[in-house]
Amino acid sequence: MRFDLKTALYRPVLKMAMEQVGHGRQLGFTITKVARGRVSLSYPYDTNAVGNPITGAVHGGVIVSLLDTCCGAAAMNVTGQLSLAPTIDLRLDYMHPARPNAPIFVSGTAYKTTSAVIFCRGTAWQDDQENPIAHCVATFMRLRIGSGEQLSGVFKRGIKRVFLWR
Amino acid sequence: MNLPDTSLGAVATDTAGHTELQACAIAARQQCRPQLLLDFIPYSSFIGAQAKISDGIVLYWLEPRRSNIGNPTLPAIHGGVIGGFLELSASIELLYNFGLNTLPKTIDFSLDYLRPGHYQTLYASCRILRKGNQLVNASITAWQIDVDLPVATARCHFLIN
Repeated sequence: MRFDLKTALYRPVLKMAMEQVGHGRQLGFTITKVARGRVSLSYPYDTNAVGNPITGAVHGGVIVSLLDTCCGAAAMNVTGQLSLAPTIDLRLDYMHPARPNAPIFVSGTAYKTTSAVIFCRGTAWQDDQENPIAHCVATFMRLRIGSGEQLSGVFKRGIKRVFLWR
Repeated sequence: MNLPDTSLGAVATDTAGHTELQACAIAARQQCRPQLLLDFIPYSSFIGAQAKISDGIVLYWLEPRRSNIGNPTLPAIHGGVIGGFLELSASIELLYNFGLNTLPKTIDFSLDYLRPGHYQTLYASCRILRKGNQLVNASITAWQIDVDLPVATARCHFLIN
């Protein structure tokens, strides 16, 4: 794959915005890969996020958060310009519960971009990507920065807020 | 490749956990405190979900928390937190109002975001549209200030028994 300068520049910003703020920080995942329209992360097992104390499996909500983050981050950088991409909808199919005490790997891809909408799909797995825990499809709005506003201004404000909400 | 489903084996052997959940569900119904069921699930306190009876229905709510923020520029609640909260509400509704004594398994979950979830209390209520022998269809709505201006709506299928 050709070296993508813009993605390389956005990578630390995206990584920080996702890992260090609010719920991303609380979940404690690590973004392992940022390519244009393709983001992967790994999530360590956390006993605080258990949804079934009998089996020790993490709650489905964690899987929703991880997939939403991954697909959202993929949608945010798919155009080659980091932009806000609000989620329109998200649909998840659970294939089997997550095994406790094992990390979860998540990958999200923006597979189609139109003038107004970004279509994404994502998978969460543990041992084998072919045997996923969950699969999701999600759509995001493609927002454009207003003509009067410079991208750097949006960035500056965003980064300020990121520090504020850490 | 089919991996052995270890969690299913664990369910069959861990009868102590099941008895505890059953006792918790019975106590919650008797005392009209759905919060007892939420306290049983660690994920509830992870996001700060709470529940009470209000006008004969179970009202779920999520206090604003910094650790639930997803988009700091607005700021808005993380979409995943909203999803997790709605899914949790539906499973508690089944345990509390529909006599279930085991945790339901989610098959699928479909979430529509209608408005940004602002940094304020998020409420949710749940309607079970159908409860069969094996399948349950649930519809959950979340709102903040005005119940007629929903923030998100979700549809969920559960496998029970």
